[in-house]
Amino acid sequence: MDAPGPADAELARRAADGDDAAFAELVRRHAPRVRALCAATLGGPAEAEDAAQETFLKAHRALPRYTGASSFGTWLHRIAVNHCLDLLRAAGRRRSDSLEALLEADSAALGRALSEPSSAQSLEDRDTVARLLARLPPEQRLALTLREADGMSYEEIAAAMSCSLDSVKARIKRSRAYLLKLSRHFPGPDIV
Amino acid sequence: MTHDNFQEKLSEWLDGELDASMSAAVASHLGACPACRREAELLRRLGPALFRAPAAADPRATEAFIARVMSRVEADAVSLWERLSARVLAPALGLALAALMLSIALPGPDEDAPLGVAAVSIDVETAFEVAP
Repeated sequence: MDAPGPADAELARRAADGDDAAFAELVRRHAPRVRALCAATLGGPAEAEDAAQETFLKAHRALPRYTGASSFGTWLHRIAVNHCLDLLRAAGRRRSDSLEALLEADSAALGRALSEPSSAQSLEDRDTVARLLARLPPEQRLALTLREADGMSYEEIAAAMSCSLDSVKARIKRSRAYLLKLSRHFPGPDIV
Repeated sequence: MTHDNFQEKLSEWLDGELDASMSAAVASHLGACPACRREAELLRRLGPALFRAPAAADPRATEAFIARVMSRVEADAVSLWERLSARVLAPALGLALAALMLSIALPGPDEDAPLGVAAVSIDVETAFEVAP
């Protein structure tokens, strides 16, 4: 939903005509969600911050092509998703040996976190989380993140990732199955 | 449906993405199957274990972010102008200069040339040093 004041579409039209104040207002309205998405998807704070800035820069360049067919927020979110996916694919190509070296420790940490009765038990070491998620194929990682961190429905994820609903189901299911499989190598106490 | 079929549906069930009748069938199976209950519980814990709820946006951090984005937007506009200059204006200027040089180097209009014919004439033999 648009914030009070001019609607997003009106601000986007003005920004496309060169009104920088209008674009700054769009950044103000949408920065929290874009930054949260980049942080959840990419792990590293510096990389996430740069990706969020880059998302807005790409949006600014693409403003003349924004038709208003979808809400500005949806359109911007799609730019952020695509940018994050590009970064994840590039990171996958230069995956480091440290991922393999720390597989046992990371999987054990996940196993311990899942064995905790508290449903809100979170892995404290964000590097461990980043390495675990880095083991997933980029499309699976992004679909899982959009579901778990952004709370998007499968239909919304399909639209954001430009893929079918069946692909979203499969990606999320496989990502979870893989992570559970890792945790099972180092099981904690029984959970019933 | 078999036990394996139900287990396959747990991820979607957890996300509330099954239709009502399938969701009820999975819930009924979970009531009778400890293994699937355990699996569903692990799946439910996975999200909170890996993803933290995003912190509330700090207004000062948001203002600093806006300033950085707008600074990059401004720099981008400058570099766009530079790219435009390099791709369009520089070649256009080069062409104009070349045309100017050519007009100086070449002889003036051939007054004897009929209308509609090129207004310059070049002595081909001289220009290309062709032997008579």
